[in-house]
Amino acid sequence: MNIRDMLDRKVLPYISNPARYTGHELNAVRREHGDVRASILLAFPDVYEVGMSYIGFKILYDVVNRRPEWIAERAFAPWPDMEAKMRAEGVPLYGLETFTEARKFDLIGFTLQYELTYTNLLAMLDLARIPLRWDARSDGDPIIIAGGPCASNPEPIAAFLDLVVMGDGEEVLAEIMAEVAAAKQTGMGRSELVEKLARIEGVHCPRLPNPVRRRVVADLDGAEFPRKFIVPFMEAVHDRIALEVMRGCSRGCRFCQAGMIYRPLRERSLPGLCDLADSLIGSSGYEEISMLSLSSADYTYVRELASRLARDYGPRGVAVSLPSLRVDSFSIALAREVEKSRRTGLTFAPEAGTQRMRDIINKGVTEEDLMSAAGDAFESGWDQVKLYFMIGLPYEADEDVDGIGDLARNVLSLGRRIASRRGKSGRVGVNVSVSSFVPKPHTPFQWFGQNTIEEIISKQARLRDRMRVRGLSVSFHDVQASHLEAALARGDRDLAPVIQRAMELGCRFDGWGDQFRADLWREAFSELGLDPARWANASYSYDDPLPWDYINMGVTKDFLIREAEHAVRGEITPDCRKGDCSGCGACAGDVRVRLADAAFEKGAERP
Amino acid sequence: MILRVQLCKGEDARFISHLGFMRAIERAIRRAGIPIAYSEGYHPHPKMSLAIALGVGLTSEAEYVDIELGSDMPVADALKALADSMPPGISAVSACSVDGKAALAASVEYASYRASGATPEAAAAFACGAREFMARGSSIARIKTKSGEREADIRPLVREIRAGAELDFTCACGGRAHLRPLDLIAHLGEIAGAVWDLGGCRISRTGLYFTEGDALVSPMCARCRDYVMAGGPIPRS
Repeated sequence: MNIRDMLDRKVLPYISNPARYTGHELNAVRREHGDVRASILLAFPDVYEVGMSYIGFKILYDVVNRRPEWIAERAFAPWPDMEAKMRAEGVPLYGLETFTEARKFDLIGFTLQYELTYTNLLAMLDLARIPLRWDARSDGDPIIIAGGPCASNPEPIAAFLDLVVMGDGEEVLAEIMAEVAAAKQTGMGRSELVEKLARIEGVHCPRLPNPVRRRVVADLDGAEFPRKFIVPFMEAVHDRIALEVMRGCSRGCRFCQAGMIYRPLRERSLPGLCDLADSLIGSSGYEEISMLSLSSADYTYVRELASRLARDYGPRGVAVSLPSLRVDSFSIALAREVEKSRRTGLTFAPEAGTQRMRDIINKGVTEEDLMSAAGDAFESGWDQVKLYFMIGLPYEADEDVDGIGDLARNVLSLGRRIASRRGKSGRVGVNVSVSSFVPKPHTPFQWFGQNTIEEIISKQARLRDRMRVRGLSVSFHDVQASHLEAALARGDRDLAPVIQRAMELGCRFDGWGDQFRADLWREAFSELGLDPARWANASYSYDDPLPWDYINMGVTKDFLIREAEHAVRGEITPDCRKGDCSGCGACAGDVRVRLADAAFEKGAERP
Repeated sequence: MILRVQLCKGEDARFISHLGFMRAIERAIRRAGIPIAYSEGYHPHPKMSLAIALGVGLTSEAEYVDIELGSDMPVADALKALADSMPPGISAVSACSVDGKAALAASVEYASYRASGATPEAAAAFACGAREFMARGSSIARIKTKSGEREADIRPLVREIRAGAELDFTCACGGRAHLRPLDLIAHLGEIAGAVWDLGGCRISRTGLYFTEGDALVSPMCARCRDYVMAGGPIPRS
């Protein structure tokens, strides 16, 4: 019985949410494997509805499938009930498009969005019946590649990967596919091919200690972007058109890995975006389009784009949304124009509770900004506001933790005052979400140890005590999960056996609160005589070698050190969009900050 | 104008949930450029309604959706546009315009199903079970619910069973009285001492019906005009 029949008869009738595993969505591409010259299984180590929400995954799918001589299929981590059933019935991991066994692909490419998906990655390799470690693989096994933000320190999982791609993936994946297709024609052996692929710029091979420089797409308007998105039958977490308005962020928050490794800021042109939006809306039928980036309110023509989209597609039942709001009045005005509904509430991320702390992390937001933005939001009819904060940031004192409570209470009483004029002060609510700071590689805070578990627990308790007010609700991120995330983010090769052991013990979906098994992870660490604190809580000096030193993600170490020193003194580094270059090192040659071109908007030729 | 469309949910779409099916139809309507009406207010919703949810894992030849149009469109043009815009596994097979209000869900009284793929032995046993069941005046079955099971007399809910290599049956469906096909099949199996192999068999909804007096009528007959089947207009029978 083939995989399709096995699923149909023995597996899918007995598990939850079977539509996760059947494919056949609108705009999915199906091709006979015999008809193509190279194939890749794009593997996302989380469940279908999470993986189908990522724009990078859609871009890579399109980059391959727009060439008829290649094929990309998709695989996601099966939920535990599905994994158990697959194992019981002997069904291997397969591609959703043609139900082809994972092992039959030339390449398997994993997306690494989050450290707490590593056990899923191993479980997927295991379900694919592929040896977990690269040194156990041989001719006939697919080449295992990974990319995405966590690839910027692949050391903890390097033992399981043949190759790692650093930076923007759209150009490098096409180069890899072309090399693989050529190698298959000449009958090149597996290890020779791996070494050949490692010579492509932006590709690192863990078995060869080669320094690597990330890839970066200089001009997004010239890059390939899908004109059709797969439209899932099952509701994805972000079930809408994601229109990537720009890549990179110019704000320079010192804790933010994405803000560092995706530099420099590159905007798409307004006409280009309108054209893409038109294709995507027409080919998908989606009811919502979202302007996606790290800080979409910063896009030069955000207002023009939003109003054009609302004008052209609103009458066709398409809503426009902004995923990330800046903490200022401009953003509220924009949200008011764009988002017709006031039901969902607004989210702001001041990140820290005191001005001192916000200066340390270079979050250019003042208390006045927050109060005026929140005031505008309440005036405009929103009565639920969500605030994001972090605790455990470098140089944090008790006053900074207390400041989070003070700020939240101030926002609440402001909301009550405004709403009481409408006689609705009782409806105002402020939800505060507090995560624990995780120091990430390639950021100015990469040298700082995370707060210990005990420190975080005591800070959480302190804050909880100060937030016992009606109308204020607070939620904290799981301490154990943040600790593990820090260990894996800053880890080295000694962690590979721990991750493998955790997978064998049954750890899956570690990023899901209801699935995370801190006890099994502790068991895995202690069996190997290791302690996650060694990586999570270690503080390094600038001279200490770091596991990810060999990876050049664009920003220089000198810049990161300068920023770390600015942080000590609470000095702000200005936004480079405004022309003050901080010399981060991300710009080189064609690669530079690109703002949507004003001249071009008027119909002139582009320079 | 209310456009009523008959849809098929095929093999490739049988594991799609009711909500997923609804979203897929809504998006197909938008891709097709059907001038669907939207509700007023901050959060406009497209005005469409499906008849009755179909269980996950079932196929169907008889799903119906009522679409309220903001401006009139010839039925044949609308069906052609919709048929061309459906995602894989779902097809639009016929359409008509309906006088008055959209009242699909409230009007459906019966559904017919076909269960197939049983082994000859199981099929024979189920045929015996079906004969015995139909001869009874009442038959208490265990009905699966979200929280567990309850007992109910399901005999009055079953109008007809024809048992051969396949099992065709017509039973109550809708807001007033409802019987799920798997509950009936499990009950027949209990009577016959046979087990229905969920994995090996297929259940398909073959019809949804309104009633006129004691007769069952198709949703495409009651107060309908301009009936069209995909591929072109045909004379109404």
